[in-house]
Amino acid sequence: MTAGPEKPGGKRVLYLEALVPLLAFGSTLAGMLLWNAGIQFEIQYAALGGFLASCLLAFLAWTRPRKDIVALSTPIYGFIFFITPIDYTGGVVLQLLYACGLTMLAARLHRRFGTGASARSFRNELAAGPLKTYIESTSDPLSAIDPVAGHHAAAAFTSFSEGDYQQAADLSHAAICRDGIPEPVVRAFSILRQHAELLDRNLPRPLTYLTFPAENAALMAKPLPGSGDPDREFLTMMDNALLLLYSAGWHASAEDRPLLLVSQGFAEKLLGS
Amino acid sequence: MKIGTIDVKVSILSIGVFVFFTLLLVGTSVINPAIRPQLIWLIPCLFMLLVIPIALNYMSRRQYADLAPEYEREAKTVRVRLINENMLGKIVRIEGVVERVHLQFLNRPQYSVADRTGSISVKMFTSPDEDVKVNDIVEVLGQVIRRYMVTGEPVINCVVIRKIDRQQKS
Repeated sequence: MTAGPEKPGGKRVLYLEALVPLLAFGSTLAGMLLWNAGIQFEIQYAALGGFLASCLLAFLAWTRPRKDIVALSTPIYGFIFFITPIDYTGGVVLQLLYACGLTMLAARLHRRFGTGASARSFRNELAAGPLKTYIESTSDPLSAIDPVAGHHAAAAFTSFSEGDYQQAADLSHAAICRDGIPEPVVRAFSILRQHAELLDRNLPRPLTYLTFPAENAALMAKPLPGSGDPDREFLTMMDNALLLLYSAGWHASAEDRPLLLVSQGFAEKLLGS
Repeated sequence: MKIGTIDVKVSILSIGVFVFFTLLLVGTSVINPAIRPQLIWLIPCLFMLLVIPIALNYMSRRQYADLAPEYEREAKTVRVRLINENMLGKIVRIEGVVERVHLQFLNRPQYSVADRTGSISVKMFTSPDEDVKVNDIVEVLGQVIRRYMVTGEPVINCVVIRKIDRQQKS
């Protein structure tokens, strides 16, 4: 987590976002200046800047983890304005309104759709939120894990999230057999293995199942429910095991962080449900 | 209506459109006799309003019927809550209760199916073999896709949806 490379990626996206209104308004205003200076051409061609701005906006929307379908579709209109002959007044009004629309969409993209995926992956950093808070809160107890065990944790989490339950069980079993892994992480691997094997065979919850002991409560992402609801307790154990392994993989295996970032949505879903 | 082995279903919307234009044509030709010579091509056009949806439904249902054995073979049973973006493109099987059904009148039904772990939207782009209603327990085979192709949360593009016997299930 370096602070250095974070800035250029974020700034670059910010500059590109600022370029959207500059291109859209600039092109039309330049067209108006040329027209008033006596160089009279088809005003539709002043929409070139708007078209390029819309392509840029669509590109910025595409790089976001959450896609903005409205921003993605703007080049269609930009292209129509560019190729359709129109009189001077109507053309200028239409282009300026379109430039206003693109500006509002660029602001909306910036505020509501967060940072671009390219910038995020460049930062190699989790988005702020409960997951990041949890990962940071477990950094001390999990920092002693060796990178191989960390890789196993990341791989087991990813396999599970992809629905490859047998592979997740095999990876967990391989990790349990290793020495030097902290006890709560071994327990997390064991719980994950049990759940993965049950899911792979489509079996229901067994009467007895593995749980985290009460002394591991500080490492749990979700509070352990009372024993009155075994179904809920069973699912909470699985969620906690998965999230503990996600955190272990994050702290111990820096090479697996890009893979874990791809699975961030699933981890957030587990934490939020 | 059966064509070969395929049970073709015409949507209520298609029938409604056909009835509306039939009444419009009958009414117009009664009021304005000048339109009657045009009936020679208007009547076939009217029937095309029914024939085209039937043909489209037949083609889509035949394609789904061809896909079903492959999905039966490859589908992996998953819990609804564990379906996520990492599973996009995977063929899955879920079992659950139908909580909501809508867009059936378009022959493009969308169901909300829930199991003990959560609920998910199940989209179907043709009419199902069985008439699935709210509170039915169903088995769904389909592919995990995004709701709007490139964006949106994961949903299931359903190829097979069938009711499961409650007693057999319990």
